[in-house]
Amino acid sequence: MAALAIDAEAWRYSARAWQALHAQEFVAASPVAELPQSLMAAFDWPQTRTNRIVFVNGEAQADAEIRLRDGERLHLVFVNMPAARAARWRREFAITLDAGSAEIVEQHIGVAGADVLGELDSQLRIGAGARLRVVVLSDLPDSVSLRRSERIVIAADAAYASHHALFGGRLQRFDLDVAMAGARASYLARGVFMPRARQHIDVHLDAKHAVGDTRSDVAWRGVADGRGRGILHGAITVAQGADGADARLQTKNLLLSPHAEIDAQPVLEIYADEVKAAHGATVGQLDERALFYLRSRGIPFATARALLIGGFCREAFDGIADGDLRAHMDALLDAHLAQVVA
Amino acid sequence: MTMLKIDNLHVRVAGKEILKGLSLAVNPGEVHAIMGPNGAGKSTLGYVLAGRDGYEVTQGRIEYDGKNLLELEPEARAAAGMFLAFQYPVEIPGVNNTYFLKAALNAQRKARGEPELDSMQFLKRVREKLAVLQLKEDLLNRAVNAGFSGGEKKRNEIFQMALLEPRLAILDETDSGLDIDALKMVADGVNAMRAADRAFVVITHYQRLLDYIVPDFVHVLADGRIAESGDASLALKLEEHGYAWIAERKLAGHTVAERA
Repeated sequence: MAALAIDAEAWRYSARAWQALHAQEFVAASPVAELPQSLMAAFDWPQTRTNRIVFVNGEAQADAEIRLRDGERLHLVFVNMPAARAARWRREFAITLDAGSAEIVEQHIGVAGADVLGELDSQLRIGAGARLRVVVLSDLPDSVSLRRSERIVIAADAAYASHHALFGGRLQRFDLDVAMAGARASYLARGVFMPRARQHIDVHLDAKHAVGDTRSDVAWRGVADGRGRGILHGAITVAQGADGADARLQTKNLLLSPHAEIDAQPVLEIYADEVKAAHGATVGQLDERALFYLRSRGIPFATARALLIGGFCREAFDGIADGDLRAHMDALLDAHLAQVVA
Repeated sequence: MTMLKIDNLHVRVAGKEILKGLSLAVNPGEVHAIMGPNGAGKSTLGYVLAGRDGYEVTQGRIEYDGKNLLELEPEARAAAGMFLAFQYPVEIPGVNNTYFLKAALNAQRKARGEPELDSMQFLKRVREKLAVLQLKEDLLNRAVNAGFSGGEKKRNEIFQMALLEPRLAILDETDSGLDIDALKMVADGVNAMRAADRAFVVITHYQRLLDYIVPDFVHVLADGRIAESGDASLALKLEEHGYAWIAERKLAGHTVAERA
């Protein structure tokens, strides 16, 4: 990958972190590795056993292009396994849903050890009238860096809804390019990220309303602790003539330490005449009134703090209908909360 | 023994002195009403008792059960039986009401060395208390106060009080913003809890609430201290004459003293 250019705001957009990573030498990661039992437990859910693809350092027995059937539920697991030396892998894949509705659970996990750098390029095509729901769970050890680059094309009357939970890793960068290509295409995204220690999580969204009567609704929550750094750059473009488009972009962020940093940048570019567009970004600290309210009811300080941060994040999980999956996300959140309030 | 003893309390908030020598004694079983005009320091009193940050005690002391209350963290005060019904209950999106209530009740019980309640025991207790305040059970599945109407928030405060069974409850303008039906429900909730070992401090701006929660004592708080104390009839006089009446009487008193 070519080094990213440094511009005046490069520090915001992880260029430096990437350059530091690329200054490092990597060997090609091995796709053959024995997965430890503890890691198996993180993804081996009975409900998804029949339709699961496990990629080890980017390799799996799978077609480069996957076509989803109506009613299908696909579990994709990307495992980052360290070698003796720093290693990297890269994978491309494409998924198409022509019609009907389907669901994807995409999981990124890893084992701590020597550095691993993964790069994943994917394309999603959602055909006219189809409905795709995606849940992304990323829970990485500090030795793993992951760059995901995703292009999504949503056809007329199609709907794409996604929930993202990004935790851990040395550096996670998620570039998302979404095109609402047909009339009444709809794009919904909810996400939460929580960098702590020296972790760096960077989300770049570029969503385009190419035609009229399309709808986007994006809301992300960020929590940063320690020297953690989070970035949410959300650009929404409404093309000329795309009248009747409805675009919402909201990001709310919480800083738990004086050295934590979150940069939130919503950008709306509107070239059409009749559109509805709303965006907002906040970065703040825990609400002192809420903290006092909980404590005045007898809840100890640390517990009250965890409750508030958890509540702040959990709003991003609203709308996940699957109880088992929701429970898994809640547990993952709680495990990471325990580390930021400890 | 006196449950709450406030002696010559001076409190500063954001550099401004709000309470200027307030003294008050509350015994178990008593209901005290604190009335007073806006800005007299009524809510400050509630917050200082509950232990909110930013309320600096510059002089005086507060004893609760013979111990220095000011040394206790807010959660320790709650575990010791103190409860503040907030004038403006805080909305906490994303935190489930049932989870919050169970966490609060069990944290208090744990701090007191009592066994924690399991889910069945907890829900049984919750349902009993909901019925008294005519609150719907779906309130339990919502986030704490989020999207509640003003009346629901106030009734939720009294519901929490009923559930937590405090020994000293401070009600900070619980009547404000309530219609007459909600006011009666709140009063019923309070009256049902009146007991020989429990005390109430009812902070209010209007006499109306005291028609339903009849106090043993009424105190008028003006300019940071208790300007006048009496029985329930004092509230009626205030309703008739207004708060200016207290100020005038005080002024007259001073004049006499100076002449003598």
